[in-house]
Amino acid sequence: MPIQSGVLLISLVLMAVVAGFFISAVRASRKPDTGAPREAVRTRFIYALLAVGVIVTAVSLRPWPHAISAANGPSATVNVTGAMWYWEIDRATVPLGVPVTFNARTTDVTHGFGVMDSQDRLLFQTQAMPGYVNQVEHVFRQPGVYRVVCMEYCGVAHHAMTNEFTVAAAN
Amino acid sequence: MMDNNSAQRLPGPQAGAVKFTMLLAGVVLLLMMIFGFVMRAAQGNLIDLDPAMFYQLLTAHGAGMVGTAGLTGAAILWYFMGRYVPLARGVFWAFLGLFLLGVVLILGAIFIGGYGGAWTFLFPLPANSGGVWGTDAAAAFLLGYVAIGVAFLLLYLEVGRKLIAAYGGIGGALAWPLVMSKGAAENAPPPAVVAAMATTIFNTIGTVVGAAVLASSLVNLYFPEFKVDALLAKNMIYFFGHVFINASIYMAVIAVYEIIPEYTGTPWKTSRIFAVAWSLVLLFVMAVYPHHLLQDTVMPAWSLAMGQIVSYLSGIPLLTVTAFSLIVYLRKADAMRWDLASALLVLGVAGWSVGSVPAIIDGMISVNKVMHNTQWVPGHFHIYLILGEVAMAFGFMMWLIGKPEHKAAGGFNWAAFSAYVLGGTGFTLMFLVSGALSVPRRWAVHAPEWVLQSQIATGFALLVIVGAAMFVLRYLLGLKHSAGR
Repeated sequence: MPIQSGVLLISLVLMAVVAGFFISAVRASRKPDTGAPREAVRTRFIYALLAVGVIVTAVSLRPWPHAISAANGPSATVNVTGAMWYWEIDRATVPLGVPVTFNARTTDVTHGFGVMDSQDRLLFQTQAMPGYVNQVEHVFRQPGVYRVVCMEYCGVAHHAMTNEFTVAAAN
Repeated sequence: MMDNNSAQRLPGPQAGAVKFTMLLAGVVLLLMMIFGFVMRAAQGNLIDLDPAMFYQLLTAHGAGMVGTAGLTGAAILWYFMGRYVPLARGVFWAFLGLFLLGVVLILGAIFIGGYGGAWTFLFPLPANSGGVWGTDAAAAFLLGYVAIGVAFLLLYLEVGRKLIAAYGGIGGALAWPLVMSKGAAENAPPPAVVAAMATTIFNTIGTVVGAAVLASSLVNLYFPEFKVDALLAKNMIYFFGHVFINASIYMAVIAVYEIIPEYTGTPWKTSRIFAVAWSLVLLFVMAVYPHHLLQDTVMPAWSLAMGQIVSYLSGIPLLTVTAFSLIVYLRKADAMRWDLASALLVLGVAGWSVGSVPAIIDGMISVNKVMHNTQWVPGHFHIYLILGEVAMAFGFMMWLIGKPEHKAAGGFNWAAFSAYVLGGTGFTLMFLVSGALSVPRRWAVHAPEWVLQSQIATGFALLVIVGAAMFVLRYLLGLKHSAGR
């Protein structure tokens, strides 16, 4: 399951739970005191949220999501440059199964370098900002054609700012 | 010095000025919703819209919605602070005048000058339009923001100084004695005052930072040799933008603190946990903004980690204090009186709470990598605007005009509320689904496989507009037929 589907599912469940508490309270509001939660419940709720936060933080930040692995083994580097309204990519083919580091630059305004797979599913992104080089690393698991899109609004042809590259097994 | 929850209320808040402001806001909200409807219809291939016009509407919709949310929040803040401290009436009119001057400049920049650089004016886009708009149009847009910023600073100066004088300093108005267990809860300022003081502080700081980046961008427009660091500008813009839109919600919730007790029969009091929560909100609102820059990998790693962590922590005061307390008050009520005002105010807190879920999840760096700037983002913020801040603003408007006098009003109100909630829920869920399917936000033209979602969203948008139009109509009729508050 793509990460996006999991995120949607978890979000909808949690949103329904929050909404459920309100709906239940609205229903109870017309009746005589139906036993409101006590302060102790609030305290436990706060501690529970803090505990969940500590766990989620530890799990989601280790390893660091933006880590660029040291080039100990095979790897590749791709330089991409955004400009109104096109992407320049310094290689047409990118190797399969090895860490690929993308260096994102821009010649004018801020763009968003995003890469989509053949199902138009966003795999990763980083910003391309004037005066800076943002790096993002990805390991491609499937060969094929990948689409580059702009993920930061950059003017009248923002939606048309696309390009592509091919991922293939390294010879 | 006023020093307790039940401090005697002053007569005569500026009801007339506030009612007029809310009428303006209601009409502008409707217009901005229509802009949103047109954009979704264009993405759904239901109408033909030139991309340049799409991005102009996008800019107007963003600036208009954020500005109007701020305007309604400020009107609520002003109205209820008028109960506790004597506010100079002229300040509100100056605020409104400057705000409207800003609106005129912004609308002129967009629809006469062709400006379409989005409400976020991300440096250096205003100066680099690719030939679509000119320097003067960009300058008019930025000057419009400056006028609105000055309006807010003026309002906060008046509210801030009066609260400080009345409650023995900033700490007094924030109920810090209670936080430090040095005072009794019955001597603490009312919740509305605590919220107003906190909002006054963080939105003043946010507006000043916004003014600095606006001034830099303006100079750069005419003197390009005056270079602005793009990363610094981005930090400042998102600090300002995040603080401002959050301040709008935090100001609007004052209406909940003040009005809901009239319906539940239980006063909303400042407790220690409430005071602690608002002091934390004051910090969190300002510290969380790096969650807008999670894909700028040149940012220091600690700042991005802070963005993620504070993003999560920000939900705790909301869920465990405001939302939890409201649920307690509703459950404790023996016979809660429901009308359009109370329903919309409760909806506002519920929508804000529900919307915080996808926002917090998107605040995780690993999730943000595949969700940032997809339609997930407008998905979550439309939940806590349509079903949150704007619902609170409409609720305040309904409360301002008082109870409808005839029975038929009940059916009309129920139909309006149902249309608004159903439309708002469907509209925002379509954004979330589209975001999960990687549909980018702010694209004038959509791929064929995304069109159906846009078409469904367009239908829900229409429902929201119908509900909102009925609220505005009810408000207008209410102003005409009843003395209201």
